Amino acid sequence: MDFKKILISCLSSFLIVINRFIGLIFNPYKTMRKISVEKDYYQPAFIIGIIFIYFKFIYYLRDKIYPATLIYFLFIINVFLTVIFFYLLSKLFSKNKKEIYFSSFIFTFSYSLLPTIIWFLSTSILFIFLPPPRTFSILGKGFSIFFVAYSLSLLIWKLILGYLAIRFSSKQNFFKILFMIVLYLIWFIPYSIILYQLKLFRIPFI
Amino acid sequence: MRSINLRMKQKLNEVFSVESNDLGANFLTNYFKRFTAYLKVAPFVYIIPITFLVSVSLYFLLGRFLIKLVTVLQYGF
Repeated sequence: MDFKKILISCLSSFLIVINRFIGLIFNPYKTMRKISVEKDYYQPAFIIGIIFIYFKFIYYLRDKIYPATLIYFLFIINVFLTVIFFYLLSKLFSKNKKEIYFSSFIFTFSYSLLPTIIWFLSTSILFIFLPPPRTFSILGKGFSIFFVAYSLSLLIWKLILGYLAIRFSSKQNFFKILFMIVLYLIWFIPYSIILYQLKLFRIPFI
Repeated sequence: MRSINLRMKQKLNEVFSVESNDLGANFLTNYFKRFTAYLKVAPFVYIIPITFLVSVSLYFLLGRFLIKLVTVLQYGF
């Protein structure tokens, strides 16, 4: 009986995740606002689970220096550090500290990983079918223009979702959010360089 | 009736969960609201053409460097 209930909750959460993913494409503001008041923890678990499958998949494409599980745990640490950083800053800046919920940060930040998952997954699939280096032929140039446009689109979408995640979780205004992001980048850029030099992440998965 | 009221209350709480942005100067706030309105609903309608234009301009500006950059990015996952 309990197993049946869990299965039904998992399936419904899975459908909600797909619905929210579509919502974030067509209606990011409204959808992220709904996500910020979410209480169903199966949803971030699904997203984190998809990312685990992704890391297992790319293990066969990468140099295999580190096990996929280690990279995955590092990713979890990265996300956790990011969420805690913004949560603590929001608590510090907020006048009404009771309206800041840690769960809201978990939900919004896990959903803001969607563009990251799409970019990393598509790049790794392209790596199989159209392996680099790119050539200077017309097709090579055409693909390069397309790839840059595609990556930029996802980057802008990521920035929108990231901003909305902080906005609805921290409930701060534009300038305070901008200040928080600058403070975040001050430690996150050197941290990413260290991860790059240790050959853990080439581009940070965040 | 009570459930409709409850749902209405929940929706209002959700909509007014954050204060509207005020950038200090009226003209700045107005421009900010006008600009962000495009990003709130179907942002890809604007993002895709703009990024294609930026990408083509970058190709004319950077030339071969852009192709090398794509090679580096393709190893980035």
